[in-house]
Amino acid sequence: MINNVRRITIFTGNLGSGKTELAINFALWLKKKHQRVGIVDLDIINPYFRTRIMKDYLEKMGLRVICPPGKLAGADVPALSPAILGVLEDEQGMGVFDVGGDDIGATALGRFKPYLPEGAYHMYFVANACRPFTGKPAGIVKMLRSVEKASRLKVTALVSNTNLGLATDPDTVMAGHAVVEEAARQLQLPVAFMAVKSDLAPEMTRRVPQVPVFPVDLRMLPPWLRE
Amino acid sequence: MAKVLMKGNEALGEGAVRAGCRYFFGYPITPQSELPHYLAKRMPEVGGLYLQSESETAAANMVFGAAGAGARVMTSSSGPGISLMQEGISYIAGAELPCVIVNMIRGGPGLGNIAPAQSDYFQAVKGGGHGDYRLICLAPASVQEIIDLMQDAFDLADKYRNPVMLLADGVLGQMMEPVELGEEKIAEAPEKPWAATGRKKGGPKRLINSLYIVPEECEKHNIKLAQKYDTIRRNEQRWEEYRVDDATMILVAFGTCARICKAVVDSARNEGMAVGLIRPITVWPYPTDVITRVREKAEQFLVVEMNMGQMIEDVKLAVEGMRPVHFYGRSGGMMPVARDVFGEVKKLYNGGAA
Repeated sequence: MINNVRRITIFTGNLGSGKTELAINFALWLKKKHQRVGIVDLDIINPYFRTRIMKDYLEKMGLRVICPPGKLAGADVPALSPAILGVLEDEQGMGVFDVGGDDIGATALGRFKPYLPEGAYHMYFVANACRPFTGKPAGIVKMLRSVEKASRLKVTALVSNTNLGLATDPDTVMAGHAVVEEAARQLQLPVAFMAVKSDLAPEMTRRVPQVPVFPVDLRMLPPWLRE
Repeated sequence: MAKVLMKGNEALGEGAVRAGCRYFFGYPITPQSELPHYLAKRMPEVGGLYLQSESETAAANMVFGAAGAGARVMTSSSGPGISLMQEGISYIAGAELPCVIVNMIRGGPGLGNIAPAQSDYFQAVKGGGHGDYRLICLAPASVQEIIDLMQDAFDLADKYRNPVMLLADGVLGQMMEPVELGEEKIAEAPEKPWAATGRKKGGPKRLINSLYIVPEECEKHNIKLAQKYDTIRRNEQRWEEYRVDDATMILVAFGTCARICKAVVDSARNEGMAVGLIRPITVWPYPTDVITRVREKAEQFLVVEMNMGQMIEDVKLAVEGMRPVHFYGRSGGMMPVARDVFGEVKKLYNGGAA
């Protein structure tokens, strides 16, 4: 499992790379060990499948969910809650940031740079080699650099998150993982962990014993798959 | 080639590029902004042009110009933006120019909201702009189908020299599904001898226009258009049938609603009810032929939409009063829940008892 957790974990990546699913699963995982865990919906560009639609559930699970309040949650405005600073300044609590996709989404993160001294946080770049523009190492490097530039923060590690949603199979994960590892090598960054939907976790642990495998329960489902 | 995980909006962009589209003009609006976002990156890779216009009105007229010059061109928007484009769309239809217009519908009327809806159905299939014209109107229900239909959209536009609209709700634009892109072969646009690309040393004058100042000539033009629309009606109706053969109750739904209804049909079949689904793929021309066929066996119809009842009018026109046509809908950006639709099915199936 993942070690070397820091107080603040930031998930960045390109649009649709799986940041929201990961942030939710990661925050719930942290909650098992830490009393105070906040999850911050910093997604100002994705209108539908974002953390805030899970607000009630996550709060029931004991998480502090920071997103635009009430009516504003469905508004098409890039609103950021002042409560975000509360998570950043709470030295006793853990914070997970779900950042919007691409460099455009990461722009919102730059505003918090003064609260993020080096060493206090992990900034993960989530890479899915099945997504357009990040199918090759060069694409991942390019996207990662643009996210760094927009956020004015440095990525500390990659997350290997190659998937086809519910249709993911182990071979697809393996092929994508090789792409992510090559990108990491070129960037001289570590791969923090591999994220896979939970039913594949045992198989992937067997196949890549050298990398921590983080199981993910998919929650952002289209309407015909919801109850 | 391996599968790619794509958002519907990205698939629209990639599908267009593969169909040979090299010009995109548009203005951002939720929930379709990932499409211009994608094409802003993708068009330069294939030597195409992405241009963010100053307004949707301008975008529609840029499309008019590029289409007149023979280019494969598209624009996209959502509800309010499509409303702004209507003048241009009518001109394009009047001038018989091929182009593709995407409407990723959101909640309305007015400013409404950014949640998914199907409430622009009337606007898409009954006119929208002024004058007596039709748009060919395709309604995909999955990300893969978006990719496949984009090629057809451009082909149909060129074949009939008519604007084609891709009509979908915001969920289809935002959701991600694996798609098979196939080999990257870029389609070539066909020869367009009518395109305004110059007289070529004394050739005939090429004029793109929708102005017919003499009523007799304008009527002639309208009759010619009407004949074209009749041909399209005869040749281009498309639909999907799901467990229809022995069904006594037929659900009719397009896009996201059809996905939900498919799940409902399965639930109903599991309980021994003979329920099937017809999913229009073209909503204009409306697949009247299949409704006319199944109305012989089916005892009743249930239309499910994300609006207050729009497509139901076309179903009723096709049923011609021979069977009852019921309606279930959610509106304002709300989506039907499979459980609720199933409840409605059970009630109707048992003759109205809950």
